[in-house]
Amino acid sequence: MIEEQLVAEAHGLSRWERHKFMLLVGLTIATALFLVWIALGLYNSSGAAQLDLSRPGYKSVQSQVTKDDTFNGYPSTGAMNKAALDQFRGLYAPRATQATGVDSFGGDVMSDQALGLDDPSAPSTE
Amino acid sequence: MKRMAILAATLSIIIGASFAVSAAVQADDAAPMTEAHIARIRASCVSAQATLMQLHASDALMRVNRGQLFESLSTRLMVPFNSRIAKYTQQNVSLVELASSYDGQLTAFRSNYQQYEEAMSRTLKIDCQNQPVSFYDGVTETRDKRAATHDSVIALQKTIQDYGTQFDIFAKNFQEGTK
Repeated sequence: MIEEQLVAEAHGLSRWERHKFMLLVGLTIATALFLVWIALGLYNSSGAAQLDLSRPGYKSVQSQVTKDDTFNGYPSTGAMNKAALDQFRGLYAPRATQATGVDSFGGDVMSDQALGLDDPSAPSTE
Repeated sequence: MKRMAILAATLSIIIGASFAVSAAVQADDAAPMTEAHIARIRASCVSAQATLMQLHASDALMRVNRGQLFESLSTRLMVPFNSRIAKYTQQNVSLVELASSYDGQLTAFRSNYQQYEEAMSRTLKIDCQNQPVSFYDGVTETRDKRAATHDSVIALQKTIQDYGTQFDIFAKNFQEGTK
């Protein structure tokens, strides 16, 4: 009896009223996809993708990331005297040496010779 | 009338010569690769791609580690020190200028690395067996972007050294001034 009543009621509904739940689900999925698209765009354009070592292909190097949580830096407030200057020198010098000691992103590893892509018919530069 | 004819002839020669030079330059830029070179690329590209993939991963690690170090030098050392000495003296102009230029170089480094990484990713996606010329062009583009990244690292390293030198001068002057 209840079932028949429900069927009768359904026949009385307009097309919009019959499909509004499916429309809600569809719009929700479309909104979610749109927001994901924006988020991925921001992820790529902001440079965050380049720092994300959890991406496929970076697993081998993930464990070699240096954690820099323990370094608190130099306090921006306090007295200015010899001790304060020595403290800064003590913090700055080792970091500066660390930062300047390595030649990063040198081009030799990407030369045609290193990759075996050099022109065999070109005259040798050696 | 004769003068007009000479002027027209001169103009025609100049325009003709500039077209000829431009065409020669373009022909030189788009010099076709030799068959031997293409065959060489096709033969070596699989191993080259493997090398590039390793480089891609190790460079990402270097970007994270170096980037964090470069960043901390600015945010945890230069900026706090500059703000601390600003309360005591106005003689820190060069230190402030160096810190500001360092920030600009850091931004350039981030941007150059991003462009390099994107170029590398595009190159690694190329089917080098079927598109050896595109692959080679991709490698050339990536190499240029890597060189730009290297240049920004050199600039940062120079500023780090300059800041250290300037700090020593400041410290000496400050201590002499307080005696």
